[in-house]
Amino acid sequence: WAARGGGGVAPSSSAGLEPRPPFAPCASDGEGVATGTRRDFLGMGLLAQIGRALRSAFAPSPRRPVGRAMASDAPLRFDFLVVGGGSGGLAGARRAAELGASAAVVESHRLGGTCVNVGCVPKKVMWNAAVHAEYLHDHSDYGFEGASGQFSWQLLKRKRDAYVSRLNQTYQNNLDKAKIQTIRGHATFVAGPEPTVEVGGKKYTAPHILVATGGRPSVLTDLEVPGGLRGDLCWLFFLFVSFRRSVIVGAGYIAVEMAGILSTLGSRTSIILRQGVVLRNFDSYISNNCTKELLNAGVDLWKHTQVKSVRQQRGGLEVTLVTKDPDTREEERTSVVQDVDCLLWAIGREPNTSGLNIREMGVELDEKGHIVVDEFQNTTRKGIYAVGDVCGKALLTPVAIAAGRKLAHRLFEGKPDSRLDYSCIPTVVFSHPPIGTVGYTEEEATKKWGKDNLKIYKTSFSPMYHALTTRKTQCIMKLVCAGAEEKVVGLHMQGVGCDEMLQGFAVAIKMGATKADFDRTVAIHPTSSEELVTLR
Amino acid sequence: MAASCRWRHRFKSFGCLHNPKRHLTSLYDYDIVVIGGGSGGLACSKEAAQLGKKVAVLDYVEPSAKGTKWGLGGTCVNVGCIPKKLMHQAALLGSAVKDGQKYGWKIPGPVSHDWVTMADRVQNHVKSLNWGHRVQLQDKKVKYLNMKGSLVDEHTVRGVTPKGKEMQLTARDIVIATGGRPKYPTHVPGAVEYGITSDDIFWLKQSPGKTLVVGASYVALECAGFLTGVGLDTTVMVRSIGLRGFDQQMAGLVTDYMEAYGTKFAWKCVPKKVEKLPSGTLQVTWTDMLSKRDECDTFDTVLWAVGRAPETQHLGLEKAGVQINQETGKIVVGPDEATSVPNIYAIGDISQGRPELTPTAIKAGKLLARRLARQASEFMNYDNVPTTVFTPLEYSCVGLSEQEAELRHGKDAIEVFHAFYKPLEFTVAERDASQCYIKVVCLRGGDQRILGMHFTGPNAGEVTQGFALGFQCGATYPHLLNTVGIHPTSAEELTKVHITKRSGLDATVTGC
Repeated sequence: WAARGGGGVAPSSSAGLEPRPPFAPCASDGEGVATGTRRDFLGMGLLAQIGRALRSAFAPSPRRPVGRAMASDAPLRFDFLVVGGGSGGLAGARRAAELGASAAVVESHRLGGTCVNVGCVPKKVMWNAAVHAEYLHDHSDYGFEGASGQFSWQLLKRKRDAYVSRLNQTYQNNLDKAKIQTIRGHATFVAGPEPTVEVGGKKYTAPHILVATGGRPSVLTDLEVPGGLRGDLCWLFFLFVSFRRSVIVGAGYIAVEMAGILSTLGSRTSIILRQGVVLRNFDSYISNNCTKELLNAGVDLWKHTQVKSVRQQRGGLEVTLVTKDPDTREEERTSVVQDVDCLLWAIGREPNTSGLNIREMGVELDEKGHIVVDEFQNTTRKGIYAVGDVCGKALLTPVAIAAGRKLAHRLFEGKPDSRLDYSCIPTVVFSHPPIGTVGYTEEEATKKWGKDNLKIYKTSFSPMYHALTTRKTQCIMKLVCAGAEEKVVGLHMQGVGCDEMLQGFAVAIKMGATKADFDRTVAIHPTSSEELVTLR
Repeated sequence: MAASCRWRHRFKSFGCLHNPKRHLTSLYDYDIVVIGGGSGGLACSKEAAQLGKKVAVLDYVEPSAKGTKWGLGGTCVNVGCIPKKLMHQAALLGSAVKDGQKYGWKIPGPVSHDWVTMADRVQNHVKSLNWGHRVQLQDKKVKYLNMKGSLVDEHTVRGVTPKGKEMQLTARDIVIATGGRPKYPTHVPGAVEYGITSDDIFWLKQSPGKTLVVGASYVALECAGFLTGVGLDTTVMVRSIGLRGFDQQMAGLVTDYMEAYGTKFAWKCVPKKVEKLPSGTLQVTWTDMLSKRDECDTFDTVLWAVGRAPETQHLGLEKAGVQINQETGKIVVGPDEATSVPNIYAIGDISQGRPELTPTAIKAGKLLARRLARQASEFMNYDNVPTTVFTPLEYSCVGLSEQEAELRHGKDAIEVFHAFYKPLEFTVAERDASQCYIKVVCLRGGDQRILGMHFTGPNAGEVTQGFALGFQCGATYPHLLNTVGIHPTSAEELTKVHITKRSGLDATVTGC
């Protein structure tokens, strides 16, 4: 969720449905956007149409017709030109400017990219709202009377959008302060003696061009799932009604996070997954536990199931599912979920590279369209670099930011070795309760070191917070240690507070901490994190 | 009890302590006798028993001046960490009600808090822990004796049951882990008579009501914090500074936040007397040291949190020749936790110069048990001890305070990186985050080794544990910067901190 750049973060606008001019400064009128969205959505009525509208909104925008005559004048020159004003692009541009480079950022829509607009930030705001729902369950257990309430989606949405708008403005201010030019519009590479970018009919060039256009949720085509309706994650962030019945397709972390938020906020929620557990790429200890926690929270899981078709009915969508457990000899079963008012596809993400004309520049893309880069973020074309989600590796805001900054140091501070080390990147899934993980899973470590050279430490306990509550969640933790010195190569945990626990451990694990170092560290009492340094 | 009497006979009949060549175990009733069933004592006895030693632990709770009693587990479980953290959680939920409304929750009526409900649940939880400790001792074959222990000589411990029955046990090694108790300012008239301490607050049968907390230690501030948080009118009376021994800039942030969230502070004031009015409320008179004037107000409860003292007077230390520090009354120990008598050890709050923290007592106890069982030789390392103050805005730290780092290394030799950050949960809740702060104190030269880390904010304890591990591994400032952040968390701010105090630049974090 690192960046959504030149491809455009056009939440409410689409080719046929434009609530406001595309180049209007966006930060000041976040509320306006919201209202526009709402009116338009209501006006359209049918969710199917929303889906279609959004599909086009989030597809890479078609190149805009060039209004004026093609600029005959020479392209405007910078030291550093960044395509995409998301996490990676902005960080790179700002660092380059700090190091004295003249820089510009091309962005077609709101600054901040996926993270700020349709990713981490609004997600965590909604997660926090859901955490309050959990607290409200617990209040009476802690002696509070009268703490029960109704949830207002509108109020949360208004606050969340206002906060996102403030961040958009902050980003704009940061660019202005750093004297980085903001170029509004969609970038397309054009042929020339040196790589050149065209935006709104004007040409821009630089000896160093950074592509940080991010990605967007994958959607299925009508051929894949008849019914034509599409939901997607960005849509959820711009929703305006409460959902009674949600169906989430996918088993990755986005599906898990959204299911947790929706279900905790009172929507009856189902997850449709092809396999038997969620988060299959995580350590099996985590994926099994997370699956269990979802079930405990009342989310219903349709395992070994796929969506066959979707139909619009009077009460909402009718989603037809096909279930086939490969381990049993049972026949394929077909089921129908009725009255769905939120169908969300969380089946993966794809890069925003089409429309950039970048392949034609000699930049190699992989089969999924990701830009191929080396460890220094170089593409196959000299002078063009890429960071963040568009490269398809570790789709995380801080990764994009760090990669962008490292690149700036390499290009403008003469530090030829400056590059991001992609090992030991910690990540948190804001599930209920949250998951923290860094390093190798046990499965990966077994492949790398062999079972006999691994030592696994595990614990499972009920966090002290739940000592007084009738609602319970478990906290589970696992250390994967390799070799005779028991170097900690993986840490996986799920439980209340694991989101905030992980960072420091990630520092230590990256430093090469061993189990003995963990043992030598004095605990902080009473916390959950102390369990990690007292594992036996 | 029959069994205990038999041991006494054994001691009498064997009584041959002079032949060191004999298998020592058979000389004594036990390999190890531990006096005190708190964090350190329990950890030590269980570990030793697991390593095959014959162990007994004596635990007895002298009722507080107000008559409060509790079970096995010591301060932490009964009148310390556990109940205070649970009440801290209650207080956090109190502010969560307000935040929740900003997050879209419509709460129709007024929200109130019932002390009795909370206290009952907290007490039940503590009792379940008492029971859990009993069961664990049994499982691990540690003999538990509900007796007050004292030394008779270097190998003999006298135990007295609550009913006054006596017995003696002999042991090759004796571990003293009797901890400490809150002090009363006995020079203040009415203090003992009408006041309570942290030994009582968690076991009150009814709400303390309007409360005066005297003192500014972490105990005082934590108690005042949760009392305010559950809606009680709370005042903290401070003679000099808050959180002595902690980084004073951080201490200021902690008390600023408390003031902003409704705790009242009477700075530079010393209590003079406490009187009980006919109505039953307490009238407290104090002197404002700045104006030199006396002032008074009435409270329902006065809680003294003016420090803790070791209980060494009744341990019979002199009989065995165990030395104490005359000033503090604590037992003088070496790096191996041994007292002046080589087979008598002291761990935890009772020992001189040790941090008064559960995890250090536990760790020291376990390591001691392993050494006594000849299974390891490792000593407890008392450096790099992280700690968290569970005030409404939690504060956690490891390593040196900025002031201490300056003293040791000189102002020019250290670099302080700092940041004022806003936790994401504060934004929508429209909470003021001006006390959410991070400070990393590093050496200025070389590889910029980290000397101290300080963090105020939600979940400070959970955030800091991992950094304490890094610190233990010798983390440098570049180690922080080279770790990818976790977004969006508060903890990630520690890996992003880049403004130096020296630069004078604004340290407010903006954007992601």
